Amino acid sequence: MPHPMQGDVLVIAEHWKGEPEGVTLQMLTKGRELADSGGVGLAVLVLGHGLDDVVEVLRGKGMDTIWVLDDPALARAGGGVEAHAIAEAVRAIDPGLILIGYSLVGMELAPAIAVGLGVTAMTNCVDVGIEDGAVVVTRPFFDGTQHAKIVLEGKGPPLVALQGGATPTVGLGATEVAVRPVAVDLSAVPARGQVLEVIEEAVSDVDITKAEIIVAVGRGIGGKEKIAVIEELTQALGGLMACSRPLVDLGWLGRERQVGASGKSVAPKVYLACGISGASQHLSGMSDSRLIVAINKDPNAPIFQVAHYGVVGDLLEIVPALTAEARKVAG
Amino acid sequence: MKIVVCCKAVPGAVTDVEVAPGGKALQFQSQFQAMNECDEYALEEACALKRAYGGEITALAMGPITTQDILYLALAKGADQALRIDVRVQDPQVASTVLAAALGKMEFDLVLTGTQSRDTLASFVGVAAAARLGLPFAFAVTEVEKDGEQSIKVRKELGGGRFADIRLGLPALLCVQTGIQPLNFVPPGRMLRARAQPIRSLSLTELGLTEEEIVPRGYRYQSVSPPERVGRVRFLEGATPEIAAALLARIRAAL
Ligand SMILES: Cc1cc2nc3c(=O)[nH]c(=O)nc-3n(C[C@H](O)[C@H](O)[C@H](O)COP(=O)(O)OP(=O)(O)OC[C@H]3O[C@@H](n4cnc5c(N)ncnc54)[C@H](O)[C@@H]3O)c2cc1C
Repeated sequence: MPHPMQGDVLVIAEHWKGEPEGVTLQMLTKGRELADSGGVGLAVLVLGHGLDDVVEVLRGKGMDTIWVLDDPALARAGGGVEAHAIAEAVRAIDPGLILIGYSLVGMELAPAIAVGLGVTAMTNCVDVGIEDGAVVVTRPFFDGTQHAKIVLEGKGPPLVALQGGATPTVGLGATEVAVRPVAVDLSAVPARGQVLEVIEEAVSDVDITKAEIIVAVGRGIGGKEKIAVIEELTQALGGLMACSRPLVDLGWLGRERQVGASGKSVAPKVYLACGISGASQHLSGMSDSRLIVAINKDPNAPIFQVAHYGVVGDLLEIVPALTAEARKVAG
Repeated sequence: MKIVVCCKAVPGAVTDVEVAPGGKALQFQSQFQAMNECDEYALEEACALKRAYGGEITALAMGPITTQDILYLALAKGADQALRIDVRVQDPQVASTVLAAALGKMEFDLVLTGTQSRDTLASFVGVAAAARLGLPFAFAVTEVEKDGEQSIKVRKELGGGRFADIRLGLPALLCVQTGIQPLNFVPPGRMLRARAQPIRSLSLTELGLTEEEIVPRGYRYQSVSPPERVGRVRFLEGATPEIAAALLARIRAAL
């Protein structure tokens, strides 16, 4: 049976160098909406070691409670220790709903937290709401060509992992915030793994994050040799060429051109997606672009969810025509 | 190194997608099924590790008899043996329960899975199975090397252009990222030879699980359909040159 929320909405925060990640801010926006409609509070759990900076930044972001789990053991914990710590902290906090980002970090944490707590988890969600007292999510199936609406009705707080970009970030006014420590005994956790080093990728010559026009190519191009068609359009428009992950995996283009969760986040004036389906991991890297144009032969491709203009057709026909038009206008 | 690779048979293009009676599954039509692409990378990485350190590879899949096709492919790609769990599962939480039960009966140093399957798109099963077994795990792994008798060093993606190098004790479970190795083409001759190999199968009962334990819990599908256009997309139609001119005008207006 659906049950009304019986505790706060709890957002698991992701942070880096003292700043909350974008996906965390999006979830705080969504979390506020859910908390208000369920008549409960909004809380956030921050964990790690040396958290003063991020707690300070979070203060103004509209939540009622900041739970802080600060433990030196978390500084270099790997292999599942973090998920264990979160599950224990959540048990102590006893929320009504848990939100986590469907980011690379969230993808690793969510299943282990759910198993640790024995609760229902729904990952890769594009939306979450409350209907008739029950938590309801929408998430993609079958390469994103279908969306299912799912009613959560299990025991315990459901865990919902939301796609980055699924919710806009709204600047939330500061509220009265309670900062509370939450303690978890990590000494009993078996040593599972140790982080040796965190590496940040060096900036390369091709910096797609600075481009005003991006022509992005996906697997729909159908072959490495055909990428020239995209290059020509990129030149005619005076932009930079980017791509989806499979083209990097296939060795067709360099990593520096990859857009998405495991690549670069871009927000150019124009993003032209050619033969890209629009998987959540791609969208999270480009959905903030000012004008999004998509060319895809499948009218149900999820890229059309974020596009402003769409062309349903063969990119090998449309792209050369667009190149010719751009040259004509330029010449 | 004894390696188990979990691979999934996934449907190709689907039609007639509906919520199954009872609301616990999605039903659909599909012309064919294939090995989930992310899992092919896990298999390639297993083969690379075997080349580097020796050992043996077991390919593990769940599903009805038709699932054997992907296990033959796994054998052709370099798995030494294959094991099929004879059960139909769609729900990722249940899948992780069944896989954990099977892995609990096997001997291994390392379990490799992909990062996501193209039908349920959940990125859930690998890590959840590790959590059920209390194994160390890492997600989106791009490099693996042996680091000692009982440990490995892995590099994994954190997103935003960041990576972490992590040391894990063995046995461990890794969700391998796409692109970790190039995908090798399997010559038809190898595929034919693979088809002659036996594939063991295990029933739920043999895993010590009951039908009751594989009923998805905690949710009910309400509806399924192609994504509702929440966005503002306007489709441009007409002859190609007209579309091109219209597109260019919009692009220039945005600059
Ligand atoms: C942990 C993780 C991280 C990931 N990180 C990223 C990331 O950072 N970036 C990223 O992009 N992906 C990422 N992915 C992969 C992502 O899930 C998708 O698999 C990927 O984005 C698909 O790329 P694609 O759209 O080019 O290919 P596909 O999904 O194969 O789509 C190809 C599209 O081309 C269309 N098409 C085919 N032929 C034509 C034609 N002639 N004309 C027009 N259209 C055509 C098809 O209709 C289809 O929509 C990640 C996945 C995981 C699990």
